[in-house]
Amino acid sequence: MRTRAIKPPRVAREIPTVVMAGVLSVCLPLPAGAQIGSVMVRSPRPFGLFVGDCFDATVEIEAADGFAPQPASLPKPGPLTYWLDLTAVSVAPGPARAGNRLWRLSLTYQTFYAALDVRRLDVPAFTVTFASEVPRATTSAVAEVPSWQISVSPLREIQPPPVADPVEYLRPESPNPRRDPALARAVAWAFASFSVAGLFALARDRAWWPFRRRAARAFAAAWRQVRRHAARRDAEAAYREALLALHRGLDRTDGRRVMGEDLAGFLARHPAYAALAQPLDRFFQASREVFFGRDPSLAQRTCPFPDLVATARRLAAAERTAKAGGRS
Amino acid sequence: MTPIRPPDTALTDWRQAALRFEAEIAKAVIGQERAIRLVTIAIFARGHVLLEGDVGVGKTTLLRAVARALGGAYERVEGTVDMMPADLITHTYLAEDGRPRIEPGPVLRRAEDLSVFFFNEINRARPQVHSLLLRLMAERSVSAFNREYRFPHLQVFADRNRVEREETFELPAAARDRFLMEIGMEAPTDPDLRRRLAFDPLFHDTDALIAGIAPDVIDQASVAGIAAAIQHGIHASPALEEYVVRLWAAIREPAQAGIALPDVAMDALVQGGASPRGVAFLIRAARVRAWLEGRDMLLPEDLRAVFAETMAHRIFLEPVYEMRRESIVPALCRAVLDTVPAP
Repeated sequence: MRTRAIKPPRVAREIPTVVMAGVLSVCLPLPAGAQIGSVMVRSPRPFGLFVGDCFDATVEIEAADGFAPQPASLPKPGPLTYWLDLTAVSVAPGPARAGNRLWRLSLTYQTFYAALDVRRLDVPAFTVTFASEVPRATTSAVAEVPSWQISVSPLREIQPPPVADPVEYLRPESPNPRRDPALARAVAWAFASFSVAGLFALARDRAWWPFRRRAARAFAAAWRQVRRHAARRDAEAAYREALLALHRGLDRTDGRRVMGEDLAGFLARHPAYAALAQPLDRFFQASREVFFGRDPSLAQRTCPFPDLVATARRLAAAERTAKAGGRS
Repeated sequence: MTPIRPPDTALTDWRQAALRFEAEIAKAVIGQERAIRLVTIAIFARGHVLLEGDVGVGKTTLLRAVARALGGAYERVEGTVDMMPADLITHTYLAEDGRPRIEPGPVLRRAEDLSVFFFNEINRARPQVHSLLLRLMAERSVSAFNREYRFPHLQVFADRNRVEREETFELPAAARDRFLMEIGMEAPTDPDLRRRLAFDPLFHDTDALIAGIAPDVIDQASVAGIAAAIQHGIHASPALEEYVVRLWAAIREPAQAGIALPDVAMDALVQGGASPRGVAFLIRAARVRAWLEGRDMLLPEDLRAVFAETMAHRIFLEPVYEMRRESIVPALCRAVLDTVPAP
């Protein structure tokens, strides 16, 4: 940024010259006493602007400590002249030095001047009112930001050499940046293997294929069979088969044949199923009626088929939550 | 528990009597609930019982208590190495007039009333005596004095200790097969019971202990009838019959049933045994057990409760394994029960 600050004499505004193109610096007399110091306009590139270009300017205003710009006095974004719009304004306090504080106004303009030749244009001047921040103070001071110049340039067509095929006017396309897919692929693989591992863990937990025969999931297998039997039409035989499936689940869980009299011992060995003592007791009663009793039809009164299915489901759920590693 | 059906009220009453009988015996023999229950089962299954165990664990006390509570005539003999069958049947002595006399011996003395015949230390008797017992147990009859004596109510209780081996004779397989049960007795393990057995003067005087039992709790003469009623009254379903057949097959062919015991070649383990009579005994005992439990149907639990006692002594192993019989056979019974699915 080429900027230059000029301490002005107390009288006139500094007039930018061609030599210091793009650099505008004005120091105004302090009309309201010494509250306002130097006012400086800096623009990084006040030249080579075409129609539609945006350009920035920073106005640095030195004000006495305790004075702050009044937001209402700041220039409002919007059209300033027929060719110039102010698009953004912001103000921020800068460093303090020797009882003064530097205030920075950041302004963004947009020019709509369709120049036919290179020329200079004046960006209009404006004023900013500073007011004392002391409570109930009435002192205010006005900083005058001077008009400053930008140079605009015309848009001119270029005469290309004539070619036979207008396609040749097209520039070759810039090559697409070569992106390295290695990271993305690695992440994809990682997620894929994570999901497969998760699926396996879930399948193992739920005793899905290929863990259907898992020893620690005897009730999961029993529950599957009971569910299948529940869907059958021949209720009597299905009930028998479902009872048998649950018997085998109990047997496999305990590693021995569990009979009705063993229920208390079974629950003591596998406390995970303690909550199911009553349904299991009804199950054993029903099983006795069906397999060993005189009237198998009594069984469905003791333990209806839906109850049996619910018991199987609860056993399978209890089995999953049972402490891993233990026998139960 | 399914209640016994009303027509079987006689069975229900008898069940109360049986439980009372058990309670009476438990007064004298503490910590042996299982042995008492098995003896009760044997009584109502009309089977003979062989008690086995260490010296001084209460085998004889238990049998004396049973004999007292059971009522009926009671005879007792001690097995000795020089005992001959004639010693059981006849009593030979020189009378006061100096002439030899032959009178009915212990078995015949009470004739048809004999209900409990208690053979102490049976393994000290010779095989000749065992073979006499064969007929006595199987047919409840014996020939003497040119006629046949019948003992319709006879029940043989025998005991033997398994510590001594000298001057003893192993019971032949046929004789063992005629016992309904072989009940092993161990000293109670509960420290409180042990303390009582050691310090309570009640247990120091066996005669007084036995005398404290109410006599004739069960009418021995009617046991045969009630035993038959039990066998008819307890229902065995087809599923249970299937279970028994599978148990039987597993005992005979443990390898095919998928049973494996450590350090045993399963396909060359069982030589024979588990006879049809044995399985029939098993069912009889199991039915009685179901009745004692207050049920009118036979369950696998009942079979399991009496399985080892009724089957173990009927399983005959290959000679290689016979020496380890005491560990192999119980393990085999356990494995069979743990393997065969029920139902």
